[in-house]
Amino acid sequence: MTTTVIHPGATLTGEKVLIYHLRDVVKTREAEGSAFRLRVPSLQIALGEKIALIGESGCGKSTLLDMLSMTLKPSNIGSFRFRPERGAEPVDISALWQKNQLNKLGDLRRLRIGYVMQTGGLLPYLTVRENINLSRRLLDMQDDGLVDELANDLGIHRHLNKLPHMLSVGERQRVAIGRALAHRPAIVIADEPTASLDPIAAERIMSLFIELVDELHITVILASHAWRHINRLGLRHLEHHTHREADGSMTETVVSG
Amino acid sequence: MRHRFKDIIWLAGRDYRNEWQMSSFFIIALAAVLGPMMILYGLKFGIVGSMLNNLIEDPRNREVRPIGSGRYDSAWIEQLQAREEIDFIVPRTRAIAATIDLKSQAAKRIVSVEMIPTGPGDPLLKARTIPENLRQIVLSEKAAQRLKVKTGDEINGSLSRRYKGRSERVHVTLQVVDVARHASFTRDGAFTNLSLLEAAEDFRDGRAVPVFGWSGTNTANKERTYPSFRLYTRSIYDVAPISDALQKLGIEVNTRAADIDIVRSMDQNLSLVFWLIALIGLIGFSFSLGASLWANVDRKRKELSVLRLVGFRTGEIIWFPVLQSAFTAFFGWLTASLIYLAVSFTINGLFMSQTEDGETICRLLPDHFLVALLLTLGSSIIAASLAGYRAASVEPSEGLREI
Repeated sequence: MTTTVIHPGATLTGEKVLIYHLRDVVKTREAEGSAFRLRVPSLQIALGEKIALIGESGCGKSTLLDMLSMTLKPSNIGSFRFRPERGAEPVDISALWQKNQLNKLGDLRRLRIGYVMQTGGLLPYLTVRENINLSRRLLDMQDDGLVDELANDLGIHRHLNKLPHMLSVGERQRVAIGRALAHRPAIVIADEPTASLDPIAAERIMSLFIELVDELHITVILASHAWRHINRLGLRHLEHHTHREADGSMTETVVSG
Repeated sequence: MRHRFKDIIWLAGRDYRNEWQMSSFFIIALAAVLGPMMILYGLKFGIVGSMLNNLIEDPRNREVRPIGSGRYDSAWIEQLQAREEIDFIVPRTRAIAATIDLKSQAAKRIVSVEMIPTGPGDPLLKARTIPENLRQIVLSEKAAQRLKVKTGDEINGSLSRRYKGRSERVHVTLQVVDVARHASFTRDGAFTNLSLLEAAEDFRDGRAVPVFGWSGTNTANKERTYPSFRLYTRSIYDVAPISDALQKLGIEVNTRAADIDIVRSMDQNLSLVFWLIALIGLIGFSFSLGASLWANVDRKRKELSVLRLVGFRTGEIIWFPVLQSAFTAFFGWLTASLIYLAVSFTINGLFMSQTEDGETICRLLPDHFLVALLLTLGSSIIAASLAGYRAASVEPSEGLREI
């Protein structure tokens, strides 16, 4: 008897299922004579992949994350497909933006995407448990023990009934991770999730985060400027190159992968 | 959609409760505007209301009194009685002949009283027994006290005249069938059947009164005329048309129309003053609430963007500040109502001795509380809608990072 281990991003035939498939997506921003352009000639992210986007601030990481989290409308779209499940039909994000169907994009976010913000982004008036459960509550999901399980794994179980302001910054960040994962999204997007923590705590929380994502088979896109320990976590590094015009009038970042 | 509206209510409520200090300040600020307004309106409604009520209730305000004397026969009186504006009319005999000296067993002195003609439906004798024949009378409270008599007692009435050069006095036994309220007639008086007055007038004029066996000239077939009458209209609003109609006939009349007009215009003017104050107060409150909610959206930008990020729609985010201002409106109204109830209870207690039974100085109807709630809710929601619109413009991506 043999056991076949299937990588979550691959089908039985070994073909990859692409959660993100972008071609010629461009976002241009202009401000007082200087322009910034992010160009994505081609980007393919498979289900279950763990992606790292590492670079200094201002290089366009956030712009890319905003577009991938469907909160920022690209200036030009060749094509932008999102396939959150193996069996699902790919969703044409480009068409939703063109028809300005913001509520559909919102529904997609609610159902498929989890976010870990730089500084928690917890609602101060909800307890830790309610914060973690918020994404589930909005989807009418019944309690299946995942909230408690996550709280256990994240080491915050004893804080479940406290309000966020009673927790340390690191603990709050753990709560934020819990909330991003609690509704079992297809993808978790994290923008500098450990930037506000000291290096030791940052590394510990980052490892925990990646462990949990692996366990739940969730695709992850992580932006960070601290690449040292990221390398050890086995994430795929997303290539990007930035070049500036000599007169400083134009900065362009090209991302592909 | 409906389900997530429930979530917005839950979240807005939790936020409101979590910031209870801030929320209480707004509730108190609203109550500080609304409470005094309710008290002011309660006073206006209570005082002017009972003044108007008194005007309507008090039959004297429905009275139309002819000035001087005329000559009215019974046919003319009956014709007037047929008019629907008229509640009660009865002819009067000459005032100089309409007195009678009364003497009771209990009191030594003789009391001379005015006789007032009465009949069924007399508004001054509401809920009192009406004299049915010429041997029954209803005494005014003052006369009854001076004579020390009560309902059911018999008293002696006497009339005097100079007839053919001699002084004559006749006596008649009268039964006190009731005592009128003090307010009905404040002097010494007796409400009597018209025929007793006619008998007294006849006797004094030297005519025979067969029913009492008093002698005099025989005038059986002579048509009687009356110099005056007592007239009450159905309501205070009928006073003006009836007095106009009488004046057209050349009859000068006296009414309390001027008093009625004063109270009615006072009601209108006080209402105007009240609404001006209410308008200024509510506008001021709306602006301060609107400004704070507007600032709240800035303060809670991050939290609102988190809500957008987790998938709340634009139309749902608007409800966040709107609901919170509705909470403020409701609790502010509740507090103001409690303040009002406490203060009005105190005010009414203070004036208890000066008011008649069932009269209150400070009074609001349930409808008034409802109107206050709706007005407050309305102005708060208008104040919040701008902030709601601003909240809806919060971009979901703002929540992803520090700005």
